[in-house]
Amino acid sequence: MKVFRSHLLICGGTGCHASGSLNVKKALVAELTKRKLSEEIKIVETGCNGFCAMGPIMVVYPEGIIYMLVTAEDIPELVEEHLIKGRILERLLYREPTTEEIIPTMQDIPFFALQELRVLRNRGLIDPEKIEEYIARDGYQGMVKALTEMTAADIVQEVLTSGLRGRGGAGFPTGLKWKFAAASAGDVKYVLCNADEGDPGAFMDRSVLESDPHAVLEGMVIAAKAIGSNHGYIYCRAEYPLAISRLNIAIDQAKEMGLLGRNILGTGFDFDLEIYQGAGAFVCGEETALMTSIEGKRGMPRPRPPFPAIAGLWQRPSVLNNVETLANIGQLILRGGAWYASVGTEKSKGTKVFALTGDVNNVGLVEVPMGTTLGTIVFDIGGGIPKGKKFKAAQLGGPSGGMIPMQHLNAPIDYEKVAELGAIMGSGGMIVMNEDSCAVDMARFFMDFCQDESCGKCTPCREGTKRMLQILVNITQGKGKEGDIELLEEMAPIIKDASLCGLGQTAPNPILSTIRYFRKEYEDHIRNHRCDAAVCTALFKSPCQHTCPIEMDIPAYITLIRANRMEDAYKMLLRTNPFPSVCGRVCDHKCQTKCRRGKMDEPIAIKFLKRFITDNAPRPKTEPVPVTRKEKIAVVGAGPAGLTAARDLALRGYKVTVYEELSEPGGMLRWAIPAYRLPRNILANEIADVTALGVEIKCNIRVGRELSFSKLNKNYDYVYLAPGAHKSQKMGVEGEDIPGVHGGVEFLRDFNAHEDAWVKGEKTLGSKVAVIGGGNSAIDAARVALRLGTDVTILYRRERKDMPAADEEIIAAEDEGIKIEYLVAPLKIEAKDGKVSGITCERMKLGEFDRSGRKKPVAIPGSAFTLSVDAIVASIGQAPDLTFVPKDSGVIVNKWDCFDLAKGSKSRTTDARFYAGGDAVTGPDTVIGAIAAGHQAARDMDAAIRMAAGEPAYEEPTIEKIDIPLIIDEEGEEAPQGKMPELHGPERKTSFVEVELGFTMEDAVKEAARCLRCDAEI
Amino acid sequence: MAKITIEDLKKIKERVHAETALRDGHLRVKVTVHMGTCGIASGAKDVMDSLLREIEEAGVSDVSVTTSGCMGLCSREPLVTVEILNQDPIKYEYMNSNKMRQVFKRHILEGEIQNPFVLARGAETQK
Amino acid sequence: MKAENDELIKEFSAEKIDQLDEIIAKFKGKPGGLIPVLEEAQVALEYLPVSIQKKIAKGLNLPLSRVYGVVTFYSFFTMTPRGRHTVRVCLGTACYVRGGKALADVIEKNFGVREGETTLDRKFTYESVRCLGACGLGPVIVVDNDVHGRVKPGKVKDILNAYN
Repeated sequence: MKVFRSHLLICGGTGCHASGSLNVKKALVAELTKRKLSEEIKIVETGCNGFCAMGPIMVVYPEGIIYMLVTAEDIPELVEEHLIKGRILERLLYREPTTEEIIPTMQDIPFFALQELRVLRNRGLIDPEKIEEYIARDGYQGMVKALTEMTAADIVQEVLTSGLRGRGGAGFPTGLKWKFAAASAGDVKYVLCNADEGDPGAFMDRSVLESDPHAVLEGMVIAAKAIGSNHGYIYCRAEYPLAISRLNIAIDQAKEMGLLGRNILGTGFDFDLEIYQGAGAFVCGEETALMTSIEGKRGMPRPRPPFPAIAGLWQRPSVLNNVETLANIGQLILRGGAWYASVGTEKSKGTKVFALTGDVNNVGLVEVPMGTTLGTIVFDIGGGIPKGKKFKAAQLGGPSGGMIPMQHLNAPIDYEKVAELGAIMGSGGMIVMNEDSCAVDMARFFMDFCQDESCGKCTPCREGTKRMLQILVNITQGKGKEGDIELLEEMAPIIKDASLCGLGQTAPNPILSTIRYFRKEYEDHIRNHRCDAAVCTALFKSPCQHTCPIEMDIPAYITLIRANRMEDAYKMLLRTNPFPSVCGRVCDHKCQTKCRRGKMDEPIAIKFLKRFITDNAPRPKTEPVPVTRKEKIAVVGAGPAGLTAARDLALRGYKVTVYEELSEPGGMLRWAIPAYRLPRNILANEIADVTALGVEIKCNIRVGRELSFSKLNKNYDYVYLAPGAHKSQKMGVEGEDIPGVHGGVEFLRDFNAHEDAWVKGEKTLGSKVAVIGGGNSAIDAARVALRLGTDVTILYRRERKDMPAADEEIIAAEDEGIKIEYLVAPLKIEAKDGKVSGITCERMKLGEFDRSGRKKPVAIPGSAFTLSVDAIVASIGQAPDLTFVPKDSGVIVNKWDCFDLAKGSKSRTTDARFYAGGDAVTGPDTVIGAIAAGHQAARDMDAAIRMAAGEPAYEEPTIEKIDIPLIIDEEGEEAPQGKMPELHGPERKTSFVEVELGFTMEDAVKEAARCLRCDAEI
Repeated sequence: MAKITIEDLKKIKERVHAETALRDGHLRVKVTVHMGTCGIASGAKDVMDSLLREIEEAGVSDVSVTTSGCMGLCSREPLVTVEILNQDPIKYEYMNSNKMRQVFKRHILEGEIQNPFVLARGAETQK
Repeated sequence: MKAENDELIKEFSAEKIDQLDEIIAKFKGKPGGLIPVLEEAQVALEYLPVSIQKKIAKGLNLPLSRVYGVVTFYSFFTMTPRGRHTVRVCLGTACYVRGGKALADVIEKNFGVREGETTLDRKFTYESVRCLGACGLGPVIVVDNDVHGRVKPGKVKDILNAYN
C-alpha cells in the first residue's frame, strides 16, 4: 500500500476549469517535482465542490483545509508554507459567506435531538477534572439532600419509587438491593461500584467515568447512607487508564473539599472510598467474583446464597452497583423518584445508555427513555447503515446476550421486551450488524470469548463452552454435520442450569438467539457449505465467486485481463455463463457487494470488466453437439432460464425444443430491457450460440393456444417450464381500466414489438406521463418514455434509498432529466372524455418498520393532490401468467401465481416430469438468478433421467486447462472504482443508442489491477 | 482548599455557574476540547497543543481553554466547542491541528464561523 | 533473603529489586494487597517470573501457590519478558465487525509473531484484546498507551515503524 502524507484535491469541475484550475494543477505538479515531494504528496482532480464562485478551489487532506481563488502564482508559496512548514497560508483560506442560519442547531440533529440526557447530562459541558464545574450543575445537591433531610429508609423508599433497576445487566431493582443490605445487621458494610466493563462493544461506563466522575462518587455516598456503610471500593478495569486517572483526581478533590471522608459537609456522616484496579478477567464483572478479586484472590464466583447483601466483601454486607446505576442516583434523589419514573415503560423506568457501535453511521453513546424502539436507535439516532447496506441484526448484551433481527425493529427496548426476544439488556452494548455479518461466525466469536473467559470453576461451563465452540468452528469451516444444531440446542440449557454465575448461565445465549433467527444460515453452512455473508472463508475461494449465483470464477477472468489474455478470459466466462455479454451490461452484480476491495475503498467494477472482455475478444466458436440421448425435452419460454437449461441439456446430448410465445427469443432481455441498455444484436449473438449447439427455438407458439398442454405432455419425456413473469400487478385504485393506463412490462413489450410505430409517433403516451413504482422496470419504462419525447415523472411511495432499482439506473434517469417524486402514492386515476387526464395522489410519511427493514409509508390525511398527465405507466411489480397450466395437470400453481416445487427439490414441480425455474418460480428476480435456475434444472433433469435409466451420473468432459497467473501488487494504493464512460449530449435522450460505452483497454487493465485476489493461496 | 460547608457549596455553584457562562467580563471566548478516550485516540491532544500554541503566539488573554469528556458522538471525534460571549456555542467535528489553527485565526479571533468543519451550534441540554 | 536475591540478580538490577521491596512493604499486611503488589511489580519489572513470585509470596506471607494462581488467572500478568512496546489489536465485537482481524493478520505476517509472542528483537510484544472501549474508532490498535483508531490494514506497518 503506497501511502501519501497529503492529498491535494483540485476541483476539476467546469467552473474551476474556467477560472484556471488546469494552470494551478500544472504549477503544482512542477513545484512538487522541483521540491521532490511527488512521492509524498498526491494530486487528485475532483468533481465540482459547488463553490464555483470561489474557484479554483483546492482542498488539502488529511487536514481538510480549503483554499480558494488559488492561482498558479500562489503555488510556490502555498507549497512552502503548508506542505513543507505545515503552516496554513492564511490569505487564501476559504471564507464562508455569513450564513449562520444554515448551521444546524444541536436540536436539528436527530442524533442529539432524540436523546434524553440524565446520566449523561454533563457530557461535553463540564471539565471532569474540576469539581467546581460539577457543583455548578447541581452536583452534590442530591447528596446534601440525602445527608441532611432524609433518613436511610427515606432514601431506599425514594429509589424504590423511582423503579430504577440495575444497569449492569440483570435489571434487579436497585432499591430492593439497598433495602436488603440496609436490613442486614453489621457495623461494617461496603458500597461497591462495578466499573469492570468487560463486554466487548460496551463503553458506557468508561465514558461516564471519564466525563463525569463525581456523579458516581455522589451516588456512592448516597448508597452508603442508605445501607449504613462507611467504606467503598470502585473496581475498575486496568484497560481504562484515563477513567482511573480522572476518578483519582475526582476523589482527591472531593476529599479535599470534605465531600468524602470524615464528617462530610459537617453532617457527621463518614464515607471513604478507594479504587481497585482489575487485572483483566471478564468473569470479575460478576458480583461475587469481583468481591473475591478485591480480596486478592483468583476472581472466581461463589455460590449464592448467602447473597452479598448478607455476606459480601470480606463476608460483610455489601451492595454492588454498576457505574450507570450510581450515576443516576444524585439526580434521582434531588428531583425525586416520581420524576425519575416519569419516563420509561411500565416495568422499566427512566433512561438507558447504549453504546451504539458496529455497522452504523453515528457511532457513540446514546441515552434514550426505556421503551424507545430499536429502529429509532439504529436508524434515526444512529443514522442507519453505512454504504447503503442492509441492517441484519443488533446484538444486545454482548457475549451474554443475543441478536435482535430486522423483523423486530419496532420493538420497544426495555428489560422485558429484550428478554422476550431472546437477548438481554446487559450493560447496554448495542452492536449493529449489516448483511455482511454471518450469524454462525458471530456465535462462534462470542463463544470463543466465553470459552476463553470461563474461570473453570464449574465443569459444564468450562467443558461445555469448549465443546460448543468446537462445533461452531467445525460448522464455519465446512465440517459441520447433520444434528449439530440440535446438539447445540440440547447442550445450551444444561450449561445454563448447571453454572454458578452469569458467565456460564448466559454463555449459550448468542447461539440460541442466532439459531432462533438464523437457523437457515446454520443449515446452509452444514448442508450446502454456503456462507451467504461471505465471511467463513474456509467455505469458498473468493467472496465474489461465492456470492455469484452461478459462481463465475471472477478473480480468474479479471487476472486474465491484466495479463492481456482476452480469448482465455472469454472462454473462462462461457464456462459458467452462456450470456456474459448480457450480464456484462444488465447483471445486478451481487458479487460486487461482497468484494473485499469495497472494505478498503470501492469494489471492483466486475460487471464492466466482464463486458470489456466480450467487447474486445473474439467470441469462441460454438460447435453443434450431436444428439446422443433418446429422451426428448421441451422448454417453455425462451428467456435466460429456459435458454440456459436448453443449452446445458444440449451439451449433454439431449434433443431440446424451446417454445416461445412472442415473436423472438430472449424473454425479458428482449421484451422489457430497452436497447439503450442492451443492444439487440448483443443478445441475438448469445442466443445464436444456443441454437448453434442444436437447440431448436420455435417462436409464436403459446402453450395452451398453438400447442395444447396435453400434446406437450404426450410428445415430450420431460418439460422445463420457464415462462417468466410478464404480467404487471394492478395498483388497486379507481380508474385503473381507463385507456391510457399501462402496465410497466406491457408498455415495454408493446414498445419493443412496435418500436417503429412508437418512434414515428403513431403510438404515443401524450406529452406528460406518470410512472408509478421504484424498481428497474419502472426506471426502464420512464427512460423509454423520455426518449419518446414525453415529460416523465416517477412517483414512488417510499424514499430514494428504499428503491429496489439499481442505483446506477436511478442516477442515469435523473441525469436524463426524469423527475422523481418520493413519498407519493396513487389514489385515483382521473379521466376526461374516457381518457386519462390526471392522477390524484397522496403524500406519505414513514411510519413503523416493515419486515423488510424499511419504514412503511403511511398516508398523510388531507394531502391529496392531482397531477395532470396524459398517460400512466404502473410498474409496481410483475407476476407470472400461468393460466396455460390446466388445473388437473398435477403441476401445482400457488397463491402467488408461481409454480410450487416438490419438497426438497430446487427445480422439480409437483409432477415428476415437469421442472420449473426463473421468475415463474421465484417471482420477479434477476437475469443471473434465472441463469442459475436454468443450470440447476438441467443438472436435476439429467440426473433424474440417468437415475431412472439406471445409468451412472453424468461426468463433465475434461476441459482445456487455463493457467491463471498470480499477479499481486504488494503496494496497492487506494483508488476508487473506474468510471464507465457514457454517451452524452442530445443523442442520449432522443435515441436508443447504448448509453454505456465500455471501458477502454487502459481503464480495464487499471481496474483489473485493483483486484486483491482473495482467491490466492500463498 | 479547606473543607467546605453546605453554604459554601451553594456559593461555589453560583460563582462557577457565572464563570462557565463567560460573564465575568475578562473572558471573551471559551474553547472546550472534548477529551475522552475516543477524542484522544483520534488526535484531540494535537488539537489542544496547536490551540495553546496559537493562543501563545497571538498573545491573547481573553480566551479560556478547557477540556471535557466525550460528547457521545465518537465517530466524529475530535470535537471542539467554541463559545463566544453572547453567542451560541459552535461545535466543530473531525478536528485536527491545522483545522484548529484555521478556527482559531478565523473564528476565535475574527468571528467568522468556519462552516465546513461545523457539526452544529447550540448546546445539547438547555439548562 | 540473600540466596533469593542471588537468583533474582541474574535477571534484574539491584535497583529494581529495591523497588520491589518497597512495593511489598507498601502493601504488607493490607487485606487484598496481593493484586496491587503484582500490578505495581509488573509495571516496575515488566514481567513476573517464578523467582519474583517467590519473593512476593514470602514478603506478603502467602503461599507461593496462591501468588502463582493469581498471576496465571488474570490476563494482565505475564511470566515471560516482554518487548519494549506492547502492540494490542482489539478483537472486541465492534472492531471485529469493522475488520480488526485483518489488522491482526498483517502484524502476524509482517512481524512473524503469533498472539502473545515477542518479536526477536524484543521490540514488540503482540497481543489481542477484547474491547478497549474505543469502539467508536474501530478497528483499533493500541501501542503502549497510544490508541490508533480507524486503522486500515495498509497503515499498520507505518504506525509500528514509528516506534523505536
